[in-house]
Amino acid sequence: MLQNYFPILLFLVVGILVGVLPMLLGWGVGKVLGTNRPDAAKLSPYECGFEAFEDARMQFDVRYYLVAILFILFDLEVAFLVPWAVVLDDIGMFGFVSMMIFLAVLVVGFVYEWMKGALEWE
Amino acid sequence: MTEVLFYVFAAVLLIAGLLVITAKNPVHAALYLVLSFFTAAMLWMLMKAEFLAVSLVVVYVGAVMVLFLFVVMMLDINFEELRKGFWKFVPLAALVAAIMAAEMVAILLHPAAQIPGAQLVEPPPGYSNVHELGRQIYTTYFLPFQLAAALLLVGMVAAIALTLRKRKNSKYLNPADQIKVKRNDRVRMVKMSAEAKPTFEQPKADGESQS
Amino acid sequence: MTWTSLNAWVAAPEIFLFCATCAILLLDLFVSDAKRGFTHWLSLAVLVVTGALLVRGYHAAPQYAFSHMFVADPLATLAKVGMVVGVALVLIYGRSYAADRGIFKGELYSLALFSLLGMMVMASAINLLTLYVGLELLSLSLYALVALRRDSVESTEAAMKYFVLGALASGMLLYGMSMLYGATASLNVLEISQRLMVEQSGNPLLATFGLVFVVTGIAFKLGAVPFHMWVPDVYQGAPTPITQLIGSAPKLAAFAFTIRLLAQAMEGFTPEWRSMLVVLAVLSLAIGNLTAIAQTNIKRMFAYSTISHMGFLLLGILVGNVVGYSAAFFYAVTYMLTAAAGFGVVMLLARQGFEADRLDDYKGLARTHPWFAGMLLLVMFSMAGVPVFVGFFAKLAVLKAVVDLGMVWLAVFAVAMSLIGAFYYLRVVKLMYFDEPEGAAAPLSGCMFTRVVLSLNCLALLGIGLFPNDLLLLLTNAVEFSLPI
Repeated sequence: MLQNYFPILLFLVVGILVGVLPMLLGWGVGKVLGTNRPDAAKLSPYECGFEAFEDARMQFDVRYYLVAILFILFDLEVAFLVPWAVVLDDIGMFGFVSMMIFLAVLVVGFVYEWMKGALEWE
Repeated sequence: MTEVLFYVFAAVLLIAGLLVITAKNPVHAALYLVLSFFTAAMLWMLMKAEFLAVSLVVVYVGAVMVLFLFVVMMLDINFEELRKGFWKFVPLAALVAAIMAAEMVAILLHPAAQIPGAQLVEPPPGYSNVHELGRQIYTTYFLPFQLAAALLLVGMVAAIALTLRKRKNSKYLNPADQIKVKRNDRVRMVKMSAEAKPTFEQPKADGESQS
Repeated sequence: MTWTSLNAWVAAPEIFLFCATCAILLLDLFVSDAKRGFTHWLSLAVLVVTGALLVRGYHAAPQYAFSHMFVADPLATLAKVGMVVGVALVLIYGRSYAADRGIFKGELYSLALFSLLGMMVMASAINLLTLYVGLELLSLSLYALVALRRDSVESTEAAMKYFVLGALASGMLLYGMSMLYGATASLNVLEISQRLMVEQSGNPLLATFGLVFVVTGIAFKLGAVPFHMWVPDVYQGAPTPITQLIGSAPKLAAFAFTIRLLAQAMEGFTPEWRSMLVVLAVLSLAIGNLTAIAQTNIKRMFAYSTISHMGFLLLGILVGNVVGYSAAFFYAVTYMLTAAAGFGVVMLLARQGFEADRLDDYKGLARTHPWFAGMLLLVMFSMAGVPVFVGFFAKLAVLKAVVDLGMVWLAVFAVAMSLIGAFYYLRVVKLMYFDEPEGAAAPLSGCMFTRVVLSLNCLALLGIGLFPNDLLLLLTNAVEFSLPI
């Protein structure tokens, strides 16, 4: 059963190796061949020649949040579509209409969002 | 094998959970949360709840975490200040947690307590978790399914009601409005009666103020 | 699976309410702020129709729908009628308050109606999953409503506290439900009870663990001590109409929810949950009443008084038989009416820039507004449990059930705590009738319709108090028909 996931595991391992190996190699080769003479000026963050003014983290606009949460809601809706698509043959007309009602409710939400202007970026 | 994996994942999950609440940097905390969600998904995978595991990764790791990071970025809070009380209350909190854990262990180890080891039914070959879920959700669980739609709708309304506001200093132009514009929106035609031609008569008395 | 096997007509009121709410949500987009009254009256019309559908669908025998996910029994139907009335009162009393504070928006109405839908689902759900989804529908709408005045620091703080603690409570509840499922391999309330009691096939230890978490979750939602921390801050911080919404109709939903989970699913564990509820009730009665004395803000005082009233509600439930359940049901219905009237008066006195939420604002109210001072007097007497008012009979019914069970000490304790509680209710009366007004008489907000409804609501407290038997009989019958003994 879980053996079916072996290709995915292999893929993950290869993916991690591809990411990690060059880093390790670079680090190792740099240790052996490179020179490393840090001083305070070299290590300080560079900001167009100035001293760093402020924290690198800056405040985001709340609009990003709105877009993200609206995305998640529709993301969840799509998650519901997957098993439905898989078993549509088994559940027949009832299952089809059931999903259509579900989608209709979310279309109400979509129309509401659109009319409210929540999808506009001003 | 499965049992070993379970304990490995459970340990990772617990450690990641602990790190979420002890990490100094909130962004790190969010990333540990990703790790704990992912490990939880793996635990589900061990139970052969594949669809749930995958949707946990897609929805939580993929989407909710992005939201968390947005929220962390949105807050203008000095997290060091916020955490000041943390270590002060740790002894008390640890004591309460230890008592609760000890009580649970005491009950579970009591001879009268018998919780049979979780017996996972080995599914028949060709069993598909997605199929089984799909057959149930849209038919037997019709009502909770539709209520879930209502819940998502309320989520949308709530998010919009709480965060959407029109900005006053926006420099945004709406092209539709620009196209729809009519002459009357831009130019005001004023009808006025014709005036007599002004006559040029030099004022005599206070000439210096004019020149 | 066929359409007729769904029995969807049993849920006609809910289906109508849901469709109508979606329609209101969309129609409101085309309504300008000046014409918001349209949404207001349309929402009230929807509530009237929902109520009519409920009354029309009343059947003595429980009717199941949606593959045994949903039941329309007399208990659920009557509770739902109460909730519809409760939400209608919120909309009526809250209108001018909302208009003065910039929250007279379409979302106020759509979210309030969605919260009502959640409550109705909670009352009718007979499956753990449906119960939980109904609860979340209610909670999510309420969190958003509390924060609706988004420029107010108090409201956002209240919403944050409500949300975090509410999410914690939902987590507890869900954890407990998952254990119940683990112990019995069923989500259906009746099947769980069957497996635990008759077949003895479930795992009792796991079920007990689940029970602990379920009771914790319920206590959080009811606001019973020691899970009451959110109540005062949320009551004070939320806009007053939302405080009224939180403080009235959801108590009925929570009552029905508790009955489904404890009295129906965990019927075989009555001694276990009874001892837990005794602790909750004793603590709620003591801390609610004692802390309320120290409050200077009337909304906060109502919050602590709610905590003590929830203690009484739990007293009725912990009796664990039809007499106790119907006493608790009567308590929940009458408390809903009393709390609605109390907040109604607060909102009537509030106006732009003035919340009327300090106790000092009520000084000399009898001189400035004698009629509504009298109405608030009725509310206070009823809450304090003064004879001939409805609160007295509610308390009496609960105490009688507790004494019949043989827990006399508990009844004596409850009486002692109500006597302490009477002090702070009567203090409001003293402020109104024996103190000098602080400033000149300010005009009341609210139109004539609001005032008439509010007066009728307050007089109903006296009216039901004079003739409590019809309502008590109706509710007792409902409980008897709904819970198969």
